[in-house]
Amino acid sequence: MSTAAAQQLLVGASTDFLRHFSPFDRMEPTALAYLAQHAVLGFHPRGSEILTPEMGPSRHFYIIQRGKVQARQTGAAVVTEYASLSMGPGECFPIGAISAQRPSTNAYVAVEDAFCFQITADEFLHLMQISPVFHLFCTQYIASLLNQSRQQLQTTFSQRAAEQQTMTTPLGQLIKHEPVCVTPETRTRAALEKMNELRIGCMVVTDAEGHPLGILTQSDVLPRIVLAGFDLERPIDEIMTANPHQLPASASAYDAALEMATHGVRHLLVVDPNGRLKGVISERDLFSLQRISLRQIRAGIENATDVAALQHASRDIRQLALNLIAQGIGAEQLTQFISALNDALTRRIIELALDRHDLVGVDFGWFAFGSEGRHEQTLSTDQDNGIIWRCPELQDTEAVRRRLIAFAREVNQSLAACGFPLCKGNIMASNPDLCLTVDEWKERFGDWIREPDPQALLNASIFFDFRVLYGNERLGDQLRAWLNKLSRTSSNFLRMMAANALQVAPPLGRIRDFVVEDDGMIDLKKCGARLFVDAARIIALRTGVDSSSTVQRLRQASGKMGVSVEEVSAIIDGFHFIQLLRLRSQHLETEHDADGDNRIDPDALNELDRRILKEAFRQARKLQLRLKLDYQL
Amino acid sequence: MNWISRFIGGRSEGDALEPGIAEALAHWQALPDVDLSRAHFEARYVVVNTEATGLDLDRDRLLAVGAIAIDGGLITPIDSFYATLDTSPSRALSGLLAFARKDPLVVYNAAFNLGMLEPLIEQRLGLGLDANVIDLYFLMPALFPERHGNPVRLAEWMESFGIETFQRHHALGDGWVIAQLFLAAQARALAQGATSARALLELERAYRQYRRKA
Repeated sequence: MSTAAAQQLLVGASTDFLRHFSPFDRMEPTALAYLAQHAVLGFHPRGSEILTPEMGPSRHFYIIQRGKVQARQTGAAVVTEYASLSMGPGECFPIGAISAQRPSTNAYVAVEDAFCFQITADEFLHLMQISPVFHLFCTQYIASLLNQSRQQLQTTFSQRAAEQQTMTTPLGQLIKHEPVCVTPETRTRAALEKMNELRIGCMVVTDAEGHPLGILTQSDVLPRIVLAGFDLERPIDEIMTANPHQLPASASAYDAALEMATHGVRHLLVVDPNGRLKGVISERDLFSLQRISLRQIRAGIENATDVAALQHASRDIRQLALNLIAQGIGAEQLTQFISALNDALTRRIIELALDRHDLVGVDFGWFAFGSEGRHEQTLSTDQDNGIIWRCPELQDTEAVRRRLIAFAREVNQSLAACGFPLCKGNIMASNPDLCLTVDEWKERFGDWIREPDPQALLNASIFFDFRVLYGNERLGDQLRAWLNKLSRTSSNFLRMMAANALQVAPPLGRIRDFVVEDDGMIDLKKCGARLFVDAARIIALRTGVDSSSTVQRLRQASGKMGVSVEEVSAIIDGFHFIQLLRLRSQHLETEHDADGDNRIDPDALNELDRRILKEAFRQARKLQLRLKLDYQL
Repeated sequence: MNWISRFIGGRSEGDALEPGIAEALAHWQALPDVDLSRAHFEARYVVVNTEATGLDLDRDRLLAVGAIAIDGGLITPIDSFYATLDTSPSRALSGLLAFARKDPLVVYNAAFNLGMLEPLIEQRLGLGLDANVIDLYFLMPALFPERHGNPVRLAEWMESFGIETFQRHHALGDGWVIAQLFLAAQARALAQGATSARALLELERAYRQYRRKA
């Protein structure tokens, strides 16, 4: 009886104290009672270390009751934006380290005499379990570390990168001169004279308000004017390239590089918010930002006359990607970027093969499946491709198919020579089963949807992410529209897909942080990225989202599913982080001349990355949970 | 009880111990003495504080006792004790002893607190307390001469350390303050090489001797 009275008084006092601070003020009464009951009070004299990385895995979670505590960065690499952070009553630490049961990355030092409540790591974890409020508080804190990790990554690589200037610089800052422009009625001769006088590579044509109408570049002069015998007295708008590519001044150098790589242009117009010309960015301007220029790679690809030249370009793409990682480009842009250049490479390979294979009159499209189909290529991707075609009238279907397969075989071999290994599962256009007419594809997909046996589900997960990379895109659009309509109404198929997607769980351990394979590694593709990709595909099919990229699928579907923007962003961040880790390990391995794969040793990761990886896996679990609920699995 | 019993000491005849209390006392008496050389981080100390009708040992009555354990240098709120003496003083006092075990006691102003407690324990329970008592009234100025060189009232240490409590002049409310002061004292003592209860007792004794000479 006597101890109960005392406890009520003292625990009540702790409760009253905690209630003054977030997140404890919002905490569920039972959780707050649990915390107050288990919190013990300790004293830390001025100058004493409360917690340091050297102390090993954090065993206690501290809430400052009185006094000041400073969190200081330790180690060579600066992980967070702040070098030191001062904390006062009601603030708590460490959150990430204790969640992951790892040593703290910060040193916590009492800069004034400080009293701190503390609970054990086990009590902390229990509190997370019983209190959604506290759980959210800790998760949001850890999520904020995601950005910090990107910066850390940048630090690591920038030591190796030659250029310090970043690809994230806004274009507005890269413009060197006032724009030079002429009106559409200007005589071509006058425009050319001006270009010559000012020694500029292009002339922009604008209307009276300064809105760009067209562009004429130096390289247009020879084919369009000299060789075409164009009359120089005629107005420039007759030979300019209309609707030139434009970007807002707030776009980054990276955006410009991507735009140039995608469209194969060398100049981009930069416009202000009102659409008026602000300046011109040339490839040379971006060139100074990079060791290997896009121009070189792009030209290397376009001018390649044989596979050997393309092999060179393929190596350059890897090197460029390394530079971009060093410059802090995020995983989403980076994978898009790699995909854009790989697309160009593949197209060139197809063009070269077409020189030797007569396919005139055959209406076909070259399919990219899997990660290539989703614009999510990393640096080690094997081939996943196919062909969709329509048989010309009065021709023998099988004869045409044989011609297409012979052509495809050459393309597959050339791609292999350029660093895209042949697909072990034979998911390649040279496989007669994947060189199908539109009707045959429909039949194939229809079979899978109607009879979703395990193999059919596996196939669906690969082939549903198709995209026409070369040839007649309308063939692909037609198939997509048909497919979306069919699968949306096939709830059994979607349910089976969902069950299939749930077969692999995120490698989160109950006792240890991660469940690893026998060799201590985690397969980031199989147990990480794929969980997001598979779930996003099903959600997209269900909600009728046409996009074939995982991030776009999630973003577009979220509105329809009533999922908050924050929640989706957290999931996407998790996906990007895993992609970034994949790219990074592939890069590091490239330098050792080993084949890139997707396996990482979690023990080799630094503390921050480990924590974030764990959070990323939790997001995958959340996404899977969503599927489980949706399909009652 | 009548007024004579205060002088005679010992339990008065009509005041037989309630059931269970004798056993609890026997158990307490049988506890081995604690090792005073244990380091702070492995030792348990018990802050004991009283609440009386006033400050006159002769006239005033004890109203309540409060105790808070400090185990391994940490205050553990759920390891605490509070009892009023109005219904069953002997049960309250034996409860206090059972809670305190034979661990060193920490008080603020032993002359008053123990002056209240010891006679009552003898009278009600028929035994001597005979505890190791660390008096922060003297230990604090000994350890923190830069703050207060001479013994001062509890309120002044509260102000100096910015310590607050949920209720002043309450056995447990002030006990909470004393416990926090003792944490600071332990940390300072540790820095000076006084790592055990014995060392604290010696520090306190040396300070008193020094004051007498001065």
